[in-house]
Amino acid sequence: MTTPLIRIKGLETHYPLGQRLFGPAPVLKALAGIDLDIPAGSFFGLVGESGSGKTTLGRAILKAAPITSGSVSYDDGQSAFDIGSMDARQERTYRSRAQLIFQDPYAALSPRMTVRDIIAEPLEVMGLTSSRAETDDRVREIAKKCRLNLEHLRRFPHAFSGGQRQRISIARALVSGPKFVVADESVAALDVSIQADILNLLKALQKDLSLTLLFISHDLSVVAHSCDTVAVMYLGRLVEVAPSRSLFARPRHPYTRALLSAIPTLDPDAPPKMQRLTGEIPSPADPPPGCRFHTRCPFAQARCRQEVPELAPTQDGGQVACHFWKDLPDA
Amino acid sequence: MSLLSVQDLTIRFRTEEGLITAVEKVSFDIAEGEILGLVGESGSGKSVTAKSLMRLMGDNAVVDPASRITLHRQGGDLDVLGLRRERDMRPVRGGEISMVFQEPMASFAPAITVGAQMVEQLLIHTNLSRKAARTLSIDMLARVGISDPARRFDQYVFEFSGGMRQRAMIAMALSTKPRLLIADEPTTALDVTIQAQVLELMKELVAEFRMGILFITHDLGVIAQTADRVAVMYLGNLVETGTVRDVIRTPAHPYTKGLLQALPRIDDLDAPLVPVPGDIPGPLDRPEGCVFHTRCAVAISGQCNTQIPQDVTLSPGHAARCHALTKDTP
Repeated sequence: MTTPLIRIKGLETHYPLGQRLFGPAPVLKALAGIDLDIPAGSFFGLVGESGSGKTTLGRAILKAAPITSGSVSYDDGQSAFDIGSMDARQERTYRSRAQLIFQDPYAALSPRMTVRDIIAEPLEVMGLTSSRAETDDRVREIAKKCRLNLEHLRRFPHAFSGGQRQRISIARALVSGPKFVVADESVAALDVSIQADILNLLKALQKDLSLTLLFISHDLSVVAHSCDTVAVMYLGRLVEVAPSRSLFARPRHPYTRALLSAIPTLDPDAPPKMQRLTGEIPSPADPPPGCRFHTRCPFAQARCRQEVPELAPTQDGGQVACHFWKDLPDA
Repeated sequence: MSLLSVQDLTIRFRTEEGLITAVEKVSFDIAEGEILGLVGESGSGKSVTAKSLMRLMGDNAVVDPASRITLHRQGGDLDVLGLRRERDMRPVRGGEISMVFQEPMASFAPAITVGAQMVEQLLIHTNLSRKAARTLSIDMLARVGISDPARRFDQYVFEFSGGMRQRAMIAMALSTKPRLLIADEPTTALDVTIQAQVLELMKELVAEFRMGILFITHDLGVIAQTADRVAVMYLGNLVETGTVRDVIRTPAHPYTKGLLQALPRIDDLDAPLVPVPGDIPGPLDRPEGCVFHTRCAVAISGQCNTQIPQDVTLSPGHAARCHALTKDTP
């Protein structure tokens, strides 16, 4: 739990926004300076509203989004990679160590392939097995771990429900034996009764295969239940990183507080929460100066409009990026 | 006063594989100024139920002759399913009953300004002049919290953000002063902070306009914060109905209990997540007897898989359809 598996330093990802005849072309800074360590063996949550850059961050770690500046490194003790500067051979090895589980189990599986072929494809593409029998063994092994019925391997995906499909995509992501897995909104498309099943499966697999999971979600209650550490993003920057329990018991950043108070609780008699956020997330193409949250922050002061706050440690093991977090009234 | 009654609504669809039952003997009432939450998972038939209130089921729908949808009004009740001509439905759609959809981007025409679409429906449903319709539309946009409404009125939907689109959709649906608003997953595509704003807005509008809302969602938390009464749907059946407090505090049907246990709760991080076992059966292999028995932990063999359960009244206004409940009562 102590050594970071993924180390991110000053990561920026920019996307070009068309061209200008004169002067520099405008860019959209999807990630604007991210510093983050993901400890080995953690179930790491990443939350934020749409447009916060959480998907881009997950993809940058997998080298599926450009790294404009800064660095991302991976080190599992046996092999180490500098994600920004890998050659083709290293990249192929890295692909077997770091994998992605997609959001929509209906779109992620080819309707023309059998379940067995879908799960086996990564092994074949990466050349990890030498015979068909070996491939079949690995497919059966991971299918069993993902609680798939082995008889189902010969069928096509259309015959399966959402929950079963998501188990198939999990098996496909894990078949190459990765150490690091990004689960991007992997339960968002599922019904509640099935969602709990997939969350429990992910937890079990994480322990069983000693995985490190980056769990990206917009659903805070799901994150609260599954993750041991949570990072909160807002407009391309991290605003708070903390162990789940302290984050949900004592959120420090005004944005985290607002997010938590916006979750509809199951108690019909719960008093209305005071910290309603007004307005909407500004466009990442034109972020506010200073603290990016100051336009919606109820506690914003003059300093927030000019100076960008950096992540600073709190006494309960977390980090928060707010100039005035010590002075805020209790939530 | 009851605004709308649905009685024994049964809808089947003709498909290539055969007749599929989407909604089976569903009955409920919505009163003026009341928010009725309709909860269920995908495939439970909640959207079909909602669309049937406006007769938007599609050409392959077969409505059972015993089904009744009655819109109560002062000039005489309207039998929605009994209307002979399609055009008799026009004053109702968008007039007396309005609908807000899940995906506002898909519900606005992309090449016509938002304002023009709002004015168009007002010209159809009211006697307002074009100028008055414009003024009312801008007022409504301001009412739902869109800043600079006069400028926004002349913009296209792609220029709106997600939350703003949903607000504009609500403004448009409410501008004809409908008596019933059907909201089909109106906040599902929105972020929590925006969702909180939209829910707040809908509650305010119910209080102000005294309309009834049928609020469809899969999120019990949203229901707890918005609705007065809730109806839980599974495979086309209403398995439990009652006030939000009764259903959430003392759920009676095993499916409702299962849903609540599967839900991650922010106030109790140690509670294990208990999934409802098994998968929702496909529409073609609809279970015999109680539709839930294939996933039910307390199913009684020989009874639940053969006999269709009847509604059991637990307290005034709180009913559930389960054999296990009749067993205990003498």
